[in-house]
Formats: sequence, C-alpha cells, structure tokens
Amino acid sequence: MSILVNKHTKILVQGITGVQASFHVQRALAMGTNIVSGVSPQRGGTKYFGVPVFNTVKEAITATKAEASVLFVPAMAVKSAVQEAVESGLKLAVTIAAGVPVRDMLEIKAMLKGSATTLIGPNTPGIITPKEACLGIFPENIHQPGNIGLVSRSSTLTYEATLEIDKAGFGQSTVIGLGDDMIIGTDFVDILKRFHEDDKTKTIVLIGKLGGMYEEIGAEFYAGLLHKKPVIAYIAGTTMPFDYKMGYAGDIITHGKITAERKRQAMRQAGMTVVENLSQISECLKTLK
Amino acid sequence: MNIHEYQAKKILQSYGIKVPEGAIAYTPGEAKRGAQRVAPHGPWMMKAQIQSGARADGHFLEKKAGRKGGIRLIKHRKDIFTEAEKMLGATLVTKQTGDKGKTVSKVYVEKYYNTKQMFYAGLIINRNIPCITLLITASTTNMLELAVNEPEKILYTNLGLDDKITDEQIDKILSFLHLDKKYRSGLSDFINQMHKAFLELDAIMMEVNPVGIDEEDNLIALDAKISFDDNALYRHPDILQLHDDSEEDDSSLKAAQYGFGYYKLDGGSIGCIVNGDGVALSMADMINAYGEQMACFLNVKGGVDKDKISAGIKLIMTNPRVEGILINILGGFLRCNLVADGIIAAASEVGLNVPLVVRFEGTNKDEAKDILDSSGLPVTQAESMEEAVEKLVKIMRESD
Repeated sequence: MSILVNKHTKILVQGITGVQASFHVQRALAMGTNIVSGVSPQRGGTKYFGVPVFNTVKEAITATKAEASVLFVPAMAVKSAVQEAVESGLKLAVTIAAGVPVRDMLEIKAMLKGSATTLIGPNTPGIITPKEACLGIFPENIHQPGNIGLVSRSSTLTYEATLEIDKAGFGQSTVIGLGDDMIIGTDFVDILKRFHEDDKTKTIVLIGKLGGMYEEIGAEFYAGLLHKKPVIAYIAGTTMPFDYKMGYAGDIITHGKITAERKRQAMRQAGMTVVENLSQISECLKTLK
Repeated sequence: MNIHEYQAKKILQSYGIKVPEGAIAYTPGEAKRGAQRVAPHGPWMMKAQIQSGARADGHFLEKKAGRKGGIRLIKHRKDIFTEAEKMLGATLVTKQTGDKGKTVSKVYVEKYYNTKQMFYAGLIINRNIPCITLLITASTTNMLELAVNEPEKILYTNLGLDDKITDEQIDKILSFLHLDKKYRSGLSDFINQMHKAFLELDAIMMEVNPVGIDEEDNLIALDAKISFDDNALYRHPDILQLHDDSEEDDSSLKAAQYGFGYYKLDGGSIGCIVNGDGVALSMADMINAYGEQMACFLNVKGGVDKDKISAGIKLIMTNPRVEGILINILGGFLRCNLVADGIIAAASEVGLNVPLVVRFEGTNKDEAKDILDSSGLPVTQAESMEEAVEKLVKIMRESD
C-alpha cells in the first residue's frame, strides 16, 4: 500500500509536450508510472512517448479513465489548468511550477473547497511511491520501496530526508512535497491522516520549516489522534530571525510566534520526536529497528 | 516589490481614496514650487521618500540634515527650501534600514491636515486560512511590537475574494475604534476601495498608517505603503515601471534578473549556493552548529541555464564578506552538470580566491562530479550536506 498514488493509479500529464515535462515524463515512464494520457491544447490526436495526447482533460478522462494528474504547466497557466482538473473531477492534481501568483492561489483554494480534488503544490517536487508511480521531478535512484512515509514542506530537503531514510536501511511508502509557496493546496493534516490510514506506513518523517503555522496545525491534529504512528520531525530555520519570506506581515498574523523553536515545542508536546539536525533522522530511524 | 509612499498614494487616489495634495521634489527649488502648488498657506509636511517604515523616528547621518527625522512639519514658507536642502542627498537611518541607512534622493511635500483622530488600516495575505485579513488598530506606532506584545489591541477581520465588508464588520470596527456611527459609510467605502485595489493590483500588503479624520469628517490616507506580488507583476506592466532600482541591494537586483533569490544575513563569512529555500535554512542551522555563520545565500531554484548559474555564482564569489563558499545542489528539476559548468565558467572569469566545497546529489550528479574533477579547479567535493559544512569550516580554519 501507499497513499494517494500506486502502480494502478491512472495518471494523466497536463502540459505533456513542454520541454521540462518531456524530461520528467520519460523518467516516470521508465520507473513504471501508469501514465495513460497527456493533455496539450491543439496537440490532441498525437502521441508523446507512446502516450495518447488530448486537447482537454475531459476528453482524456473519457478515453483513458485517468484519475490523477500531474501539471507541468507554467505558473501563469496553473489556475486554469487546476480549474480544468477540478471541474473534471480528478481526485488528485499535483502542480510542480513555482511562482503561482498569490491571488490565483486564493481562487484555487476556493475552487477546491467541496470538490473531489486534492491539490498538492504548487512549487513541489511532487509525489512518489517508489517503483510504482512518480508524479513530479524527484532525483533519480534515491528512492526505495519501504514503510516510512515522508512529507515535507521544502522541496530539496525532501531529497535530503529521503537519503537519510535510505542511510538507515529503510525505504519509503510514499514521499510527498507539500510545496514551498506561501499558499499550498494540501497541508500536513491531510497527509498525516492518510499515512495513519495506510497499513504499509509504519513511521512518518515530517520536514517543516520557518514561515506560516502549518507545523503547529499539523502538531495539533497529531496530538488529537488516538492511535499514533511514530513521527520524526525536523524543522529548518533555527538561525533565521523571522519569517523571512513573509516578513512583517506573517509575523503580525501569528503575533511574532513563528520561530523554529516554537514549532519544535509544539511538535514535541504533541508527541513527535524532534531532531535538531537532518543527519539525526537516520540515527533516530535506526533506533526503531 | 515595494513602491514609494507618493506612488502608493497616487494609486489609492485613483481608487477614490482621499489623500493629501502633494508634490514630489528632487531639488529644494522643486520643493518650494511644489509646496506652493499643493497649498497656498502652510503648514506643510515634508517626507523623505525612501522605502522604509518608521521614517519619523529615524535620524540622518549627516550633520547638515539637522536632528529631526525623515518626516517634518514645516510651518513657514521660507523654511521649505532649507529643509529640503537639508534632507536631499543625506542618509536616513531608521529601525528598518540598518546602520548604513538609505540616501534620500527625493522628498514629498504635502498639504498638512489637522486631524481629530487617527488609526491604522492594513490588508495582508493570511496564509493560514488562506484569505485577506484586514487589520485595524487605534495605535499608529509599531505594528509588529503591538502584534507580539498586545495583540488584543488589533482587530483582525478576514475578507473573502469577492466580498465587500459587511455592515456587521464595519460596526465592529467602529466600536473597536470608538468612532461615531456617522463614519459608517465613509469607512466602509474606504476599506472596500482598499480591498478592491489590493485584489486588482495583486498586492500582498497594503498599509494606510495613519488614516486621519479631518475637521470635515473625511477619511484621508496620510501615509501609504503597498507591496506587490512579484509573481503577478507580469499582469501589471504599469506597476513594474514604478520599481526603484536604487532601493535594492545590487546583488538582490542582479539575482532577481536571473530569476534567483538572494538573501543577505547580518554578519557571517560563508556564502552558500543552493536550490531551495528549505536547504538554505537547514544549511544556516548546520553552519551555526559548526561554530560559523552564513553570510548570504543564493537560491538558484530550478535554474536550467548554465550562463545564468555562472552569473549567480559570481554574485557570491564577489561578496567581500565571503571567506568560504558552499555549494549544495540536490538535483531534481535542476541538473547538477549545469551547475558544474556554471562553477567553472564563473571561476575562470572572476577567479576562485576562497575555499569552495561542493556537494552534488541527484539528477546527473556523477557527470557533474567528473566535470569538476577534470577542471583542475581547487574544489573540494563532499557526499553530504553535513560533510560539506564540516570540510569547509576545517579548510577555513586551517588557512587562518
């Protein structure tokens, strides 16, 4: 098992004919990802790496029963592409591009409310269930199937944490990057819930960072769980003085409470194991063996 | 992107919000003529146009500018020229500018308004809900200190994308500010217009501090600050034109041109190049654990162009505070070999005068390592982030 995607998930790629998409689609196919269709306006009827291409998401779903989508569209086109995914009833959409305007994200969040779609991203490496499905831009050859669930709010730290899991001799059930942007589709709560419902996931590694209160909200949810799976958490940004991305405005909303130390406190109190340094993740995992 | 007060006021005015009549001046003569144009009789306000808050409480580095801050009340016509002369070209230091301050190259001269009452009104993006949040407080001093120490003095009202402010919300604000009900329609217009401008122009922060109520019960934006979403500027070419290059650190500016992020810290001696803000944060923590400090970091994001990467690397290499460089790339979207090519190109142009430790992982890492190995450059390679930090700190200490 895994969460959100596995080898049976029928996947479509929005923006399949772009340069960056080509590189990553080829790699995803080589890994065995069940990519059933692609969407690219005006390219319908062609084939791309053997994958049939359609003009619209709806056409792609009708013809190929796609259930989940990965979006390789540029930031300025993300809003309309997500809208298409939501209106077509896809259960999952993963949007890779960075730099989606904040206002577009506010509109997207409103669209998602009450819809069937879970949005991961934007500005994320995506989701990978090793050796089964890759929706995103993960580095090659660092993922192993296993029973550690990994969820991270920082793209590149996702890779670091994956290497830590490998180093401890474990593998990953599913790896999810929530996205680096100011406003993201899915937060820790939803993913923690899914990992707890997944039989294969035995332990969860959570990577947080300075900015916003996603970690605190995740910790609060975890504290309320009756049966807790162990969570190992790391928070980046101890030496940064404040929410450097949102700065002043972010601090006004949270009353200046956004420090890495406060996040750690909240997570410890909720019952998570908090490590001070990334390289302690593997040591910590080894003690679980 | 931030803009100046006078630009922000012009925008608010175009949305029907009342602002004081004002004139921008680059010379004392312009200030004098401008003052006469905006109000035949004094007093006037003269305000240094630098992008910083707390200008009134700031001080000038130069003696010629006098002891007063960057916002001055001028009662007599004859003082306009001399006060403008004092401020123009001088360096204003505020709580937000750092010790070096910012050079005042223009002042804004405004008609002075007598006010019965003042309050703060701000709109910001609240990422946690997410929504736009309206902040109201009777205090017009430091918002951040207020938010941290006395948050109960701020009224937070969450606004949707399409909603106008409701009567209920307005009544709550009126009673919070102890304002008479007669201000209801004026205040609701004021806030709705701010909200409209905020949305239409893709702002991420908009502050009117203070809003003043004049003797005729008008609500006037006496100061204004707007920050725009950099990612949405492509939709607003007119706003992009308001960008003032002189306000930005040269390195940040250059980095932004290449689509990179550049962040400078106070102090520190290690320059870092990473692909991702999270890694930068994590590296700053690790460098700290090894007893050193990060001086700056460059986030090359998913940059895929060798020349751009080389230009970015040069920014770090030429920072005089940098005594050692750490490059940590975990390639996913970004391919390590392009970074290796970029390092060589940059080193051949500006020379490599400080120790450099590189750690590659992920997409095309072996190719990248080979490129560096065969380049003959004095580069140390590492297998993990921690090893890279450890190695660099050791080399730096040995060469001391």
